[in-house]
Amino acid sequence: MTLVGRALPRREDALVLEGRARYLDDIDPTGGAHATFVRSPFAHARVGAVVAPGDAPGLVAVLTAESLRGRVRPLPFQVPDGVTAADEPHPILADGEVRYAGQPVAALIAESRPLAEDAAELVEVDYEPLEPVVDARAPGVDLVEFRRSGGDVERAFASAAHVVRGTYAMPRLVAAPMEPRGAIASEEDGLLTVWCSTQDSHRAVAHLAHSLDRPPESIRVIVPQVGGAFGSKGGAPAEAVAVAAAAIELGRPVKWAEDRLENFLAAYQGRGMEADVELAFDGDGRMLAVRARIRADVGAYLLQATAVPPHTAGMLMCGCYRLDAAEVEVVGRRTNRVPTGPYRGAGRPEAAYFMERAVDDAARELGIDPVELRRRNLIAEFPHTTPLGFTYDSGDFARCLDRALELVRPERSDDGERAVGTGVGLYVERAGGRFESAVAALQPGGRVLVRGSTSPHGQGHDTTFAQVAADRLGLEIADVAFEFGDSAVVPPGIGTFGSRSVAVGGAAVAEASDRLREACLAAAARVLGAEVSWDGGALVAADGRRLTLAELAEAEPGIGAEARFDSDLVFASGAYAAVVEIERAAGRMRVLRLAAVDDAGTIINPLLAEGQVLGGVAQGLGECLSEAATFDDEGQPTAANFADYSLLTAAELPPIETAFVESASPLNPLGAKGIGEGGAIGTPPAVANAVADALGHGVDPPFTEDRLWRAMRT
Amino acid sequence: MKPAPFHYVAPGSLAKALELVGDEARPLAGGQSLVPLLNFRLARPATLVDLNPLEDELAGMREGAGGVLRIGALTRQAAVERSALVAERWPLLRAAVRHAGHPQIRSRGTVGGSVAHADPAAELPAALLALDARFHVRSRRGERTLAAGEMFVGPLTTALEPDELLVEIEVPPLPEGAGTAFTEHARTHGDFAIAGAAAVVAPGRAAIAVLGAGPAAVRATDAERALADGADAREAGELAGALVQEGPRRALIAALVREAVEKA
Repeated sequence: MTLVGRALPRREDALVLEGRARYLDDIDPTGGAHATFVRSPFAHARVGAVVAPGDAPGLVAVLTAESLRGRVRPLPFQVPDGVTAADEPHPILADGEVRYAGQPVAALIAESRPLAEDAAELVEVDYEPLEPVVDARAPGVDLVEFRRSGGDVERAFASAAHVVRGTYAMPRLVAAPMEPRGAIASEEDGLLTVWCSTQDSHRAVAHLAHSLDRPPESIRVIVPQVGGAFGSKGGAPAEAVAVAAAAIELGRPVKWAEDRLENFLAAYQGRGMEADVELAFDGDGRMLAVRARIRADVGAYLLQATAVPPHTAGMLMCGCYRLDAAEVEVVGRRTNRVPTGPYRGAGRPEAAYFMERAVDDAARELGIDPVELRRRNLIAEFPHTTPLGFTYDSGDFARCLDRALELVRPERSDDGERAVGTGVGLYVERAGGRFESAVAALQPGGRVLVRGSTSPHGQGHDTTFAQVAADRLGLEIADVAFEFGDSAVVPPGIGTFGSRSVAVGGAAVAEASDRLREACLAAAARVLGAEVSWDGGALVAADGRRLTLAELAEAEPGIGAEARFDSDLVFASGAYAAVVEIERAAGRMRVLRLAAVDDAGTIINPLLAEGQVLGGVAQGLGECLSEAATFDDEGQPTAANFADYSLLTAAELPPIETAFVESASPLNPLGAKGIGEGGAIGTPPAVANAVADALGHGVDPPFTEDRLWRAMRT
Repeated sequence: MKPAPFHYVAPGSLAKALELVGDEARPLAGGQSLVPLLNFRLARPATLVDLNPLEDELAGMREGAGGVLRIGALTRQAAVERSALVAERWPLLRAAVRHAGHPQIRSRGTVGGSVAHADPAAELPAALLALDARFHVRSRRGERTLAAGEMFVGPLTTALEPDELLVEIEVPPLPEGAGTAFTEHARTHGDFAIAGAAAVVAPGRAAIAVLGAGPAAVRATDAERALADGADAREAGELAGALVQEGPRRALIAALVREAVEKA
């Protein structure tokens, strides 16, 4: 029986549940010192002298921009195709200016973290406060610009029977992984080893190599067990570079285990985008074109992937619809806030929210049922290239929509006390892309060890990838082991983000497994001197002689194979639907039920896939009900702890029905796409449209009682 | 998020603890509010006087003379939640305490700690205010008893002097024929209340304490009087809402008080 498609429980769970998993803060290298950071209390200030304490109990060293000069460079940043980016990288430690509250100004290295924090209080920093930029809508400095159009947009709008316009906004959010960030650095014999709570080792190596200006070969990054990332641990943070510089300088290991306050202040945030959307329709409700201007509050600097979510949001503004033309203009405006970056969805939730809200507004204006308006305009043939240039590989948008409506049981009523409404939200998301690799080796004893280039932080790679490899090799799942996350061990790749691990990394595992099987067949043929065939864990010659994999490994040690898999982007999609109830007097809202239908191509493990959907839904609902990273007029964060920033608990989750539609991707041998982000993408537009259905007009999240009360009275 | 250095003392008796506490020596009970404040370095006492070894003297619930409930200040919130006596005779306390954080917090957090910390969003002070509780306080200088209305002065502020310890809370029996209910609205379950209401409704009298209407829980006296005179839950809600200015908060308080009175 094949393993792919089976709902196997996660085999990595026991380690985590029994408390045996080793996270970054569980690692304490002998002789290690501990780092903490002096962080700017101002959103914007000129920084004069930074005076370190002459002496303090347990204090080992104080690092400042001055003391690091010539030894570190600001973090590198990525510029997606077609994007113009200002040269405003994030400094390792503030040099002359701080641009957000929480920005690291000095690093204190001491014999313990508490002593480091005590010493940090003695650092004197000369700040001269400057006017902060707190409104991304005000004219200002654009760090990111992106324009793209396809088709004859002018003509489409000029010939339109109806043009519908709206402005939609998503607040900034905190990724809030259960384990904050952190790094431990140690240098020995010219090799810098950095344990880092990060999504993969590849990007961390590249970032450290850039910022420390040393060859990547001289850096080893080990990713221990990671307690969640949700996009917020892409590569090496500035603090990791400082810690590495300190370890090199001191010749002893240095550890920084981020605390929750630091994570709220200084880990990059997500979302924070607003869009003006115009849709052009002909007289029959056919959508002709979209024009969107997206303003992103990108914060104070360009971190490694700050430019990516705005670009992705722009590129996905055609949604699931057949359009003749599209035009997007994206600006990422500088504010005196912590920079933004990828957070579960990373531009996809924004695009889906903007587009789906606009479609619902259009339906209301045109007097057409919102589901019917969608049906008239859904893309039905694949591959489909949008006017903006993305090519959707496969899908069945209409079926997803049908299924979501079936599961959610739409409802609408208003008795004057309670208004009930139903909304749908469709999405299409870019997933996969670029390359990953895998190395599979036959081990003594006959087990197979696979090293994958993507790296888990909660997704369940060890189970899903083993299902893929064991199937290819005709083995039991227990006969296949995996190693991830240590740059000295794993083959080259890009990393785990953007719903790409299975489609690209999993495909590499499949191909490496196929090649290992071929290598075993060839080796067995040499050993037995005859053609052999594969029979589960054994190789069989025509004359009946058998060689188990264990025997083969002994007869011919070192059998292995590797594969690199390159792929264009694949496009997962889905339809979400929600029913909400709003209390008219006080504005309290309840989500009564939610349906999540995702098309992630072939599903490797339905149990884990559903887990990904439910987790994404919970984060999407958090965005709808309670979450917003807010700042005051001075640029100070006003929700920088879990008392002020509310993450949903299980008690707030409504009944959720999930289903999968499986339109296999033609672009990889598994037919897989990506499932990690769908819940976070589809949920907000579905809930927002349900709110709009109940109230007769739309509101932006979070749908707090305060906001809904006001919305019902304007 | 590591506390500033402090001295730690674990006295062996209440008398010893009373000798120690003062401006610079703060009492530590369950630590569910104080420890985060220490970790943020927002509270920087020179000394922490750990009351936890004094459970024999300071923890426990019993019915006292006149049918009153006597709650030792160091009684864990979870004990209140699980007490059969409380469930039967003072169900408002049980209803309120279940909104205080999460089970882990309640198994450590104490009733006295919640009162003495006086978070404006805390549920137990509101319930105790509606129940006309009295607070027994001790210091080296002697003893005194405070009424609920005197105890809660403002956000994180009580009538306790720095050298005083709250030792016991006395809750009178409910009026004949009384029903009680606690309602609140928070962003998420276990989160700090945005607003809430504790209601005791009996024939001819009512007590309603409102959370989220000011710097500390307050009694909605207009609503109480109206209820005693036969007003319905909706009217009581509107009168309680009038504790704050027109706006979403008023609407929320009105809805919560209405629900509490209906459920009581």
